[in-house]
Amino acid sequence: MATILVAPASSRSVRDRRWRTLRRAARARLAPFGATVMLLAISVALLAPVVAPYDPLKQNLDNTLARPDRTHLLGTDNVGRDVLSRVIWGTRVSLVAGFGSVVIAVLAGGLLGLLAGYAGGRIDGLAMRMMDAVLSFPPLVLALALGAVLGAGLTGVVIALGVVYTPTFARLMRGQVLAITAREYVDAARALGAPGWRIAWTHVLPNATAPIVVQASLSVAFAILAEASLSFLGLGIQPPGASWGSMINAGRGYLQQAPWIVFGPGAALFVTVVGLNFVGDAIRDALDPRLRA
Amino acid sequence: MGLLILRRLLATIPVLLLVTAGVFALIHLTPGDPIDAMMAESVDDSVKRELRRDLGLDRPLYLQYATWMGRLLQGDLGRSIRNSEPVIQNVGRRIKPSLQLAGLAMAISLLVATPIGILSAARRNSTLDRVGTSFALFGICMPNFLLALLLIFLFGVTLRLLPISGYVDPLEEPWEGLRSLALPAITLGLALAAVITRTLRSSMLEALSEDYIRTARAKGLGDGAVIRRHALKNALIPVVTLLGLQLGTLIGGAVITEYVFALPGVGRLVVDAVFARDYPLVQGVVLLIAVGFILSNLAVDLLYGWIDPRIRHR
Repeated sequence: MATILVAPASSRSVRDRRWRTLRRAARARLAPFGATVMLLAISVALLAPVVAPYDPLKQNLDNTLARPDRTHLLGTDNVGRDVLSRVIWGTRVSLVAGFGSVVIAVLAGGLLGLLAGYAGGRIDGLAMRMMDAVLSFPPLVLALALGAVLGAGLTGVVIALGVVYTPTFARLMRGQVLAITAREYVDAARALGAPGWRIAWTHVLPNATAPIVVQASLSVAFAILAEASLSFLGLGIQPPGASWGSMINAGRGYLQQAPWIVFGPGAALFVTVVGLNFVGDAIRDALDPRLRA
Repeated sequence: MGLLILRRLLATIPVLLLVTAGVFALIHLTPGDPIDAMMAESVDDSVKRELRRDLGLDRPLYLQYATWMGRLLQGDLGRSIRNSEPVIQNVGRRIKPSLQLAGLAMAISLLVATPIGILSAARRNSTLDRVGTSFALFGICMPNFLLALLLIFLFGVTLRLLPISGYVDPLEEPWEGLRSLALPAITLGLALAAVITRTLRSSMLEALSEDYIRTARAKGLGDGAVIRRHALKNALIPVVTLLGLQLGTLIGGAVITEYVFALPGVGRLVVDAVFARDYPLVQGVVLLIAVGFILSNLAVDLLYGWIDPRIRHR
């Protein structure tokens, strides 16, 4: 009933618009590099069992700290494990942590922001003060404390980072809801008797998605960095499992004899984060050119 | 200005209350019994019972919170399980290296970022600008611990110029002290410099496109004077806000940096407490860090009001 007030968009014009957005994203100078890195990382993560040349956990005490050569492209670590294979398996952990924690934050924050913005009054006040309280902790310290009580392991880290990023999305969604519910078409829908949940679902949510997508795409890179930091400190995947952060931490004692143990996963982490940043920037420029720095 | 301070202070109270509730809940989020998580299985049951009673974990939750808050208001943040010392004393011993590290890092970041940010904006799209923006991107994407290890590899292991771990108080032995803090401060400072460079560049670009700059140029002022006297002052406002926003990142970065360089600071204390499962110490230190963070943000807010009169009169 309410939707007739909005000019019906033909499927063709929607397709055209999406195409234009995609083309705008691809035109960003560094976007192709970012997209390539992201696709490569996702493929490597999915195909880890196929593309890893060795078992990432298999030790070979006869060949420890071996320099990179043709048999071990990134050398071996202090117990003779192939560094490249461990970097490849570590990609999986990084991407799961990066995307997983942002998905949690988008769902929790989005829902909370929607509720706060829509309900207003005390619920809004309480929800936003709660988010302020979460934001009162330095992100890494909060993640560390939560990770400590949730226990070491990937699940604990993903939940901890999800909590840390929730307020960003809650505030963003609330702001969007307040802006959108003040529009005439929402008044019109309300006047026509559309129930609150339908207004939220058909009018508010679709219009609030763009900034959320932009923020989410930029947050993934930082979540990957945060997971690596927590793994470096010893939370996250436990030995002998492979994650970039824990590999770098394990290798720092051998910096003089075998710097490749640190710099292999370090390069993978740096390139992935740079690539994801470019993708995030391109998505931002395409969806919301006003936010361009 | 007085009204602004009062309003901001009042707004802080509910947030502080929620923060204390969050920190209090921390110990209760532990899957299973927190005492079992803190102590080895071999520890006698009577010891565990006693600790449970000491920490008040055998009483109803609301009573526990009320008692805990009562103690907090008297300045009692609890005791560490490991060394039985009050949290305050533990932190007091560790605060000096952390503050010195943060101060030095902040100074390095401003020294590096200010010229790069200004030159990048003044010579937009030049090679210099490209170098500046690449530096900013590099710093933003580079994890602290990796940068720390790169610096250790370069200056500590290869060139053997600077110590790679340990701490000497610069107030007692200035030269050795500064040397011991050099690599950690550069690690932390470069990351912050990257973010400041990016913000300063874009706020300078915005300021340089304003009408009053055109007027200043039309009056015949040279480039240097236009930037120094007119553009920079206005471009610094977003940088001050950014410094406030970056405090959290600075504290997080300090945790990692202190861990890598074995500096005996508060950040290292948090990490050690987490891995020793010393929950009362984790609670106390995290609460202190959060309160410090809130108060510094408050200070930055007020500073912002002082710099920009428009905020004061809102």
